[in-house]
Parts: sequence; structure tokens; C-alpha cells
Amino acid sequence: MKLGMVIDLQRCIGCRTCAVACKQHNAQPPGNWWNRVFTKGSNFHQNAVGEDDNLSMEFLPVSCQMCDNAPCEKVCPVGATYSDENGVVLVDYERCIGCRYCMSACPYGVRQFNWEDPENSKREAEYQEGYEYGYPFDHRDKDGHLVYTPNRPKGVVEKCTFCVQYTSKGELPMCVRACPAKARAFGDWDDPKSDVNQAIKGRNVTRLLEEMGTSPKVLYLPPRKTRK
Amino acid sequence: MKRLNYVTYLAALLLVVSLAAWGYQIKAGLVVTNMSNPFNWGLYIATFAFFVGIAAGGLIISSSVYLFNVKQLKPFTRIASLSAFASIVGAAAIILPDMGRLDRLYNLLLHPNFSSPLVWDVVVVNLYMLITFLSVYFQLLPDWKNEGSFLAGWTKKLTKNQVDSLSAKWSKRMAIIGLPVAILIHTVTALIFAVQASRSWWNTPVLPPDFIAMAIASGTALVLVIALLVTGKANFLKYKSAFNTLAHIISGSLVVHFFLVAMDLLLHSWWGGHGAGVLSLVFGRYGYLYAVELILPAVTMFYFFTTAGKQSRSSLLTGSILLFIGVFVHRMMLMFPAFNDIPLSFTLPGAHVENWKYPITIGNYNPPEPTFTDFWAYAPSGIEILVNLLPFALTALIISVAVTHFNFLPGQEQKNHRLGVYTNTATTASIENRTKN
Ligand code: SF4
Ligand code: SF4
Repeated sequence: MKLGMVIDLQRCIGCRTCAVACKQHNAQPPGNWWNRVFTKGSNFHQNAVGEDDNLSMEFLPVSCQMCDNAPCEKVCPVGATYSDENGVVLVDYERCIGCRYCMSACPYGVRQFNWEDPENSKREAEYQEGYEYGYPFDHRDKDGHLVYTPNRPKGVVEKCTFCVQYTSKGELPMCVRACPAKARAFGDWDDPKSDVNQAIKGRNVTRLLEEMGTSPKVLYLPPRKTRK
Repeated sequence: MKRLNYVTYLAALLLVVSLAAWGYQIKAGLVVTNMSNPFNWGLYIATFAFFVGIAAGGLIISSSVYLFNVKQLKPFTRIASLSAFASIVGAAAIILPDMGRLDRLYNLLLHPNFSSPLVWDVVVVNLYMLITFLSVYFQLLPDWKNEGSFLAGWTKKLTKNQVDSLSAKWSKRMAIIGLPVAILIHTVTALIFAVQASRSWWNTPVLPPDFIAMAIASGTALVLVIALLVTGKANFLKYKSAFNTLAHIISGSLVVHFFLVAMDLLLHSWWGGHGAGVLSLVFGRYGYLYAVELILPAVTMFYFFTTAGKQSRSSLLTGSILLFIGVFVHRMMLMFPAFNDIPLSFTLPGAHVENWKYPITIGNYNPPEPTFTDFWAYAPSGIEILVNLLPFALTALIISVAVTHFNFLPGQEQKNHRLGVYTNTATTASIENRTKN
């Protein structure tokens, strides 16, 4: 099995619902966002780029690209970052030594560090006292690696897990479920009938920073024509 | 020599300060630094690279005595080994505060991932620490034997002559094994950066040889400075030829460094386009730092080629200090352009957008900073600067304690035992006692 995702840029409306759903379900501390959406080329989201009668606005969601040749995994000195049997790149929160080498290595800027105890940062961000969010239980892979916990330890790296706590039970990742424009598909690249293989039928596909040789398992369908 | 005692006290004080700051950082988290998600390494890693660099000098000096028969450097082999050992301890120390989870460091032993250059570095840095320690130890062994020190306790059954030849044999062995390891620590430290295709500023085969050139220059400068301080004013002329040799090694390796820098800049800029993107940071926003990194070592290089640059203690000290500052800035400049040249960037020809950088989340709630940014104006925080005293204090402490308690300027022939007990007030007088070189 080789899990992957397809993001249809023709459908994406730049609403950032996926980013919010991701943040909430994965209990990301204030200041960390596993999933980002920006307007390509624009300093402000939802602002067109270009001039006069040649304006365009294309949205680009970026989270972990689940590289097949993942530099973050290769540099991790302790094997805290690893690919599981489904090709999902995960971080063991109990093994990471917080050296942040993986953050230097990842060309997509998706890796985030817990610079302080999330309890502190939630207090500083003035989240309402007692407001808890996110999947409430720990999740371990079959070898016992802690790959999800609602309260992250201070000093470890985190990033998108393809919602391992859900997808390991056969459910879809939150960004796929929450997307109101149905711009995302999720599934097994090895299965010709999977949603991802269906989604790319007859379409051009691109991957981000193809030239880096990271071999992402997240594919993008470029918009067929620019919005005006 | 007495003056070095003040160095000891000062170093001890700074060590306490840095440990206290580190304690605070451990409690609060790395949030007390000014690093962030887009700028994930800063002062600590730059300082690590700096100390790995100055650790080179030692074994390169002692090895050249044995391998290339550079006789005039022979009086300085003990100093050289000591400077190498002290610096590599400093380097290893400053890596520790950079770890988010110091408490899990044992994972490096339990689950080492050998595709990571960081693991290679752990191996070679520790090996180098061991070799330089043994190098110092074996060179001092005959003295300790004479004094009946417990440090030579295990040689009880050996005669003095046997200990002398043992010392000579093993000092030589350490110098010879040490040379490739000295080269390796720089190569591997450079590879930590150079293998990363994500950072165009690092991703060049020029980086490892340039690290070696910089290391030889700055490491030799450290040996030179310690040697100048330990020999004292009165003996300047006696060791002048050795000082000159050191100054020439420094200038020579700086020539190589500047050649490599020129090649690197040329390769980054010639094609233009993407590779040149990082240069707009190097010469634009960080132009003033880059000027320091180029000008100071260049001054030292030319100065040490002239007679004026080598004629007095103060000229040699000045040149070395300028070099240290230049090299340190060079290490910091590893970070600035690398992290602010965000790899995920786009050019939209139709919309006249050049090199638009995809913003990265900052990583903590820090108003008025925005949530996402495409540029991080890093400057170390006060706590970072205090913690960063650690390797400086530790290295100075080791060197000053060692040179005030043991004899680091021996008579050339170990057979001569007239030096007798070397006390911490050892002065030029006892050095004068030496027989001929
Ligand atoms: S996108 Fe970054 S974090 Fe994700 S697998 Fe690739 S290198 Fe690793
Ligand atoms: S920060 Fe953690 S996950 Fe990243 S390389 Fe270091 S140990 Fe591995």
C-alpha cells in the first residue's frame, strides 16, 4: 500500500477549511499549522496577482508531501522520522531528540517545532481556560511508536500524518472530509481503482519541486484555466 | 603565565553564567531563543561549526611535525594538542543546548540512523576528542612520571626511559591517526549542510574543502595565540621562526579559502536565475555581514604575508583576532541566507511575480509577529548569547587550567628531566632551564 493524496487546484476555493479542520482535529498548538493555503504569488491571501485585465488567483494548499525519497527521514539521526508500511512519513514523539535537522532538510517548510510546552502557548494565546480540542487519545503504530498525542511534548518536531489516527482505521484524513469544494482525494496509489487514481484520470498532474527528487505522494491537478 | 590564572577565574564565572542560562532554557523551552520554524538553526549551530574549525589546528600542527618534519613547530606540539582537545570539547558542548530533548540523547546510541550526517559527526567528533585527549596525555606522561603523579600511576613498573619512549611512540601515533580524523570532522560537519538540496546556499561540493581551509586557518591561529601567551613576551624572538611558520600556514590556507569562495560565488551567479536568488540575500540584506566575513580574513591574510604582520606579538595577536571574528561571522552567514531563501518558491511569468516564497508558520504565538512569514529576521536572543558562552568558557577553562598546572613548553628532548616539577607558577625562568633545542 502506498497512501497518497490528490489536490485539484481547479476546484480549490482557497477557503482554508482544510487548514482549520486539520488544526483542530490534530490538536496543533497555537502558531503551528500542518496545512497551509495561500494565493500563489500574492502577499495577501485571496488577492489576485497580475495587472489590469490580466489578473489571476490560484490557491495552493501545502502540507507534508509524503515524499517517497524523504530527506527528513534520511537526516533524522535517531530514526524518529520514518515511513510506515503504507508509505506515510511519521514522527515518533517519544524518540525525537529535537535536533531540527529534518526542518532544515524538508524543502516544503511543513515541519514544525514545539518551541515550548503547548499548555503554555495555549495560555499565552489566551485560548479559553479548559478549551481542549483535537482527537483526545494517543495513537501508536503497530510497533508502539507514539505518532499522535493531543498534548505534544515540548521540544519535538511535528507535521501532517495523513491523520494517522483516522486513516489507520480506514477513515479519510480530515482535510479530505472537510473540504467543501471536494478538491481533495485520498487513497492507495497501488490500487488502480482508488480515489487518487480515479482523480488523476485524463488530467495533467504536477508535483511540487519535482526537480529535488523527493518523489512526493501528494499530486496536484493544475487549474485548466485561470480565474478572472 | 600567572596572568592565565585570571583567565581561569573568568572562564569559571562565565561557565556558571552560561549553565544558569541553559538551565532556564531547559525549563522554558527553546522558545526563549529567537529561532523559529522558518529559521530553525541559529547561533548554537554556527558556534558549533566555529569550534569544530578551531579544533583542527592542533593535530594539523603536531602531525606536520611528524609527517612533514616541520621541525620549528616541535616546541608547540603540546600546546597544539591541548588547543585541539579544548576546542572539540567546546564544540561538543554547544551542540547540547540546541537539542529540544536533551533527555533523550541516548537514542543516538540506541537507534542511530547511519544515513544521517549528524550521526557520522557524532562518531568523528567523539573520536577526535579521544585522540586529542590521548595526544595530550601521552605527551605529558613523562613529566607526570617524574613527579610521581597519580596520572602516571599505571606506569609504576616501567622505567623512566621506557615511559619516555612509550610517550614518544604514542604521541606520534596519535598525531598520525589524528590527522585524517581532523580532516574528517570538518568534512563531515560541512556535509551536514552540504548534502541538503533544500538549501542552495549549502548544497555545494565547495563546502567541505572550504571548511577544511577555514579550519586550518582558524585552528592554527588559536595555536598561535596560545603559544604567544604561554611563551611570554621575553621569549618572542626565540620562537619567532615557529610563529612565522604558523602565520604562513594561516595565510596560505586563507588563500585556498578565498579561491573556494570565489568559485562558489561564480557557480551561484553565473547561470543567474534560481541559483542567484540566494545571492540577493548575501549581497543585499546581509551584505554588511558578508563584507566583514570577507574583509577581516583578507586583512589577516595579507598582513601575515608581510614582515610587519609577523614582527611582533601584538601584530600576530591582532591578525589572529581579526581572523577569529571573520570566521565567526562566516559561520553565522551559513545560516542567514540559507534559511531565508525558502526553497518552495514560485515565479509566475504572466503575473510578473518573481521568486514568490511560500510562507511558513512561525511556530509560536508571538504577537505582533504574523502567523506565517516568508522572512525571519533572526538575531540571537539574550538567553542564546548567554548560553552560547558555554563553549568559550569551557575551552578557555581547560586551556588555562592545563597550562598553569602542567608544562606545555617542554625541552625538545624528553630525555632531559631537568625541568623537574612544573608548578602552576612556572615561569620563563624554568623554560630557560631547558637545554638546547
Ligand atoms: S514534505 Fe517534508 S516533511 Fe513531508 S515527507 Fe517530504 S521532506 Fe518530509
Ligand atoms: S528533530 Fe526529531 S524528527 Fe527531526 S531529525 Fe531531529 S530527531 Fe529526527
